[in-house]
Amino acid sequence: MSAPAPILHAEGMHKRYGGVHALRGASLSVYPGEVHALIGENGSGKSTLLKILSGQIQPDDGRITFAGEPTGFRNAIDALRRGISTVTQETTLAPDLSIAENVYLGHRMARRGWFIDWRRTRKHARDALARLALDLDPATPARRLRPDQQQMVEIARALSIDARILILDEPTSSLTDDEVEALFGIVRRLGEDGVATIFVSHRINEVFAVADRVTVLRDGHTVGGGPAVDFDRAKLIHLMVGRALEDATAHEQQADADESSVLRVRGLRLPGLLEDVDLDVARGEIVGLAGLIGAGRSELLESLFGLRRAQGAVRVGGHDVLYRNPRLAIRDGVAFVPADRKLQGLVLDMTVRENLMMAATSRQARLRYPSPARELAAVDDVISSLQIRTHSPRSLVSTLSGGNQQKVVLGKWLMMKPKVLMLDEPTRGVDVGAKAEIYRLLFEAATSGIGILVSSSENPELLTLCDRILVMFRGRVAAVLTRDNATEAMIAHFAGGQQ
Amino acid sequence: MTTTTVREDRPRQRALDRAAGVWSATSRYAAVLVLLAALFVAFAATQNNFLTSSNIENLLTSVSILWVVSIAMTFVVLTAGIDLSVGSLLALSGIILSHLLNNAGLPGWLAVICTLLAGAVIGGAVNGVLIGRVGLSFFVVTLGTLSLYEGIVNIWSDTKTTYITSSLIDHIGFGKLLGVAYPIWLMIITFAVAFVVLRWTYFGRDVYAVGGNIDAARLSGINVGRTLMAVYAIAGLGAALGGIIQAGRLGAASPLVGQDIPLAAAAAVLLGGTSFTGGVGSVVGTAVGVLFIGTLQNGLSIAGVSSFWQQVVTGVILIVAVSIDRLQRNPSGRFIRRRDTPVKQGG
Repeated sequence: MSAPAPILHAEGMHKRYGGVHALRGASLSVYPGEVHALIGENGSGKSTLLKILSGQIQPDDGRITFAGEPTGFRNAIDALRRGISTVTQETTLAPDLSIAENVYLGHRMARRGWFIDWRRTRKHARDALARLALDLDPATPARRLRPDQQQMVEIARALSIDARILILDEPTSSLTDDEVEALFGIVRRLGEDGVATIFVSHRINEVFAVADRVTVLRDGHTVGGGPAVDFDRAKLIHLMVGRALEDATAHEQQADADESSVLRVRGLRLPGLLEDVDLDVARGEIVGLAGLIGAGRSELLESLFGLRRAQGAVRVGGHDVLYRNPRLAIRDGVAFVPADRKLQGLVLDMTVRENLMMAATSRQARLRYPSPARELAAVDDVISSLQIRTHSPRSLVSTLSGGNQQKVVLGKWLMMKPKVLMLDEPTRGVDVGAKAEIYRLLFEAATSGIGILVSSSENPELLTLCDRILVMFRGRVAAVLTRDNATEAMIAHFAGGQQ
Repeated sequence: MTTTTVREDRPRQRALDRAAGVWSATSRYAAVLVLLAALFVAFAATQNNFLTSSNIENLLTSVSILWVVSIAMTFVVLTAGIDLSVGSLLALSGIILSHLLNNAGLPGWLAVICTLLAGAVIGGAVNGVLIGRVGLSFFVVTLGTLSLYEGIVNIWSDTKTTYITSSLIDHIGFGKLLGVAYPIWLMIITFAVAFVVLRWTYFGRDVYAVGGNIDAARLSGINVGRTLMAVYAIAGLGAALGGIIQAGRLGAASPLVGQDIPLAAAAAVLLGGTSFTGGVGSVVGTAVGVLFIGTLQNGLSIAGVSSFWQQVVTGVILIVAVSIDRLQRNPSGRFIRRRDTPVKQGG
C-alpha cells in the first residue's frame, strides 16, 4: 500500500524555544494514502513537529521534502494551499455560524460575481458532509452539534481544501468508542482516496486499530518506526518511555482505622452536566476520576471548589458545606490545581515567591505588610522540598519549565496545608521526569493525611496513583474500581458508556 | 544548584536578583526616561526661562492634577482596566466642594475630607460595584459614568462657575509649606502612599495578581471583586484630590474642567510602561510619564508652540513608546497580535 516515494519527508528537524530544545533531529516520512500514527509522551516533540509541518512555526534546522521537492512552509496558509490540513484537539468552529459557513470559512464560499452564492455553498457543504457519511443540515449552527459532530465538521473543513495530508491531533480524546470507530472508518476511506493521515494519540490500542505505520518520538528524537504490524504494545511503550515500564511504586494505602472521609459527596447535581454524583475521599486516600473529555470530571471538581452552583450534599471534615466561591473552599482547607496552569494556575508576570504565597496569604488582612523574612523562609522550604528548579524565588514564574511551573502550583496549595487537594490533569504538558516527581509529591501528601481527588484523561496515570478510581460517563459515576481490579481496558469500557 | 551553594551565595544572589528586578522594572520606561532627560536638556539649552526655579515650580504645579489622577489611574490600569470617568468625576468633586463650602458652610478642612470621601465612595460604589461585583466591562461602565457625571455637573452647576472663598482652598492652590508649593507636597504624598501600598501590602499584590491573571487570582482565594472595587475607589479618590487642587488653582468650581484628563492620564500611565493588559507596571513609571507630558507641554509653551501641536506630539510619542515596548518583548511577533494556541486558518 505504501507507494515507493513518501509524499512528505522531514529529517534532522531542530527547534529551540528559549532554553528548551524541543526537537533534536527528529524525522518523519509519510506515504500517500497511509494512516501514520505519531506517538510519544507529553513533551516528546510531537506537537512541535506537527506545527512545523503545518507551517505554524519555522524549524531552526532540518530538511523537508513535499511531493518530491525540497521545501518549507512559510506559514499556515502556505501549508494549507499545498494540501496539508490540521484538525486540533480543541474546536475551532465559530459557534454561531452554520455548518456550511464553518466548512468554507475564510473566503472560500461559492460566489456569483462579488456576492456569495448561498445555494451552491450549501450544496457543496452537503456533499462534503456526505463524503464523511454525516447526515446533517448544513444550515444548522455549530453550537447545536455534539462534540463528535463538531469534530466531523472540522474534518470536513480540513478536507474541503483538497487535502493530501490530514493531521489529526488527538482526535479521539472526546469521543466514545462507537464514535472512535466511525472516525476510523472515515480515515480508512480517505486513505483509499489517496489522502494520507497523520494521527496523534496517547492510546496505544488505537494505533494498532487504525495505523498502517508508526513513528515514535522521545525527547525530540525519532527513536523508532515502521509498519505497525512489526510492533506490539510492550515494544511501543518501551520506545516511548525509554525503558520497560516497571510497576509504579505502589502507594501503601493509609487505610485509616476509622475511614473518616475528609470529603463526602451525595447526590451532587448540576443541570445538564452532573447527575447524582456520590463520592468519598478518606484521609490519606487518593481517589481518581476517569472519563472522556466532557464526561463531567472538571465540572465536578469546579463544583466542589465553589466555581459552579451545584446542588446536593457535600461534607468537608464533617461539616455540611456547598461553597459559593473559592475563598470559602480555601478557608476550609480545600485546594484545587486547575487543568490549565498558564490560564488558571499561575500569574506568569509574578515571581515564584509571589505565586507560592498567593493562596496561603489570601486570608490575611489586605493592608498588612508581607514580611519578607518569614515569606522567604517558607518559600525556600517549599522550593527545596518540592525540588523546584528555579534560579531564585525572585525569578518570574514564566521563566520556569512546564514541570517546575506545575510544581509551583502544587506548592502554592501545599503551603496552606489543605485537608482536601483536588487536581485536574496534574501532569498535562510536563516531561517524564517531572511527572514522576509530581507522583512522588502526591504520594507524600497523601501519606501526610491529605485526601486527594485527581482527575485525569491519562488512564495509566490514574492506575499508578489511585487507591480507587471513579469512572464518569455523561455526568454520572458509571463505575467505581479499586486498585486491585482496575485496568485500562475496564476504565475505557465504562468511560465509553457501556455497562 | 545544590542546597549548600544556595545557602552560601544567598546574600550575594539576593542582591543580584534584586538588581535584575529593578532593571526589568526600569527598562519598561527607560526609553521615555531618556527622552525626558533629552527634552529637559534641549529646553534648558534653547529656552532661557526654562531652567529657572520659578519655571520648574510652575512645571510641577501645572502637572500636579494630572499627576494625582494618573497615580490613582495606575491601580486601575494594573488590573487591566481604564477609568474614563475620572475627568467628569474631577469636575463633580469641584462642585461638591463648592457646595460644601458655600451652601453647607463646612469649615475648609472638613469640606476637603468630605469631598475626598465622596470621590472614593462614588468611584467604588458605581464603577467599582458594576465592574467588580456585577462583572460588566470597564469600558462600557466608565464610558457611561463619564457621561452621567458630566450631565450631573452641568445640571447641578447650571453650567456656571462658582467662586470659592476659603483660605485652605487658596492655600492648596497657591500656598507654600517650607518653601514648597502645596500641590507639590500633595504630589509627593500621593506618590509615596501609592508606592508603599502597591509594593508592600497584600492588597498591592492582589492588584498585580488580578491584572496578571484574574482566573488564577480568583482560584487562589483572592477577593477579586473587592480588589476591583478598591481600585475604582482609588481612582475616584484621585479624581477628587485632582478636583480640589483644580478648585484651588482656579479659586472656583468650574463645570468645564477635567475633560482632557482621562486620556492624558491613560497616556501618562502607558508611557510609564504599565501594561494595558494589566499585571505589569509601577507608579514610578507613571511619574516619569506625567513629567514627560508636563515637560513637553511646558517647554513647547515657552517656545511658543500651540497647544494643538503639543497634543500631536504626545499622541505620536505614546504610540511609538508602546510599539517599542511591544517590539522589545516580542520581536518576531512584529505588530501582529498572536494567540498562544495556533489559529487554524481557512481549511
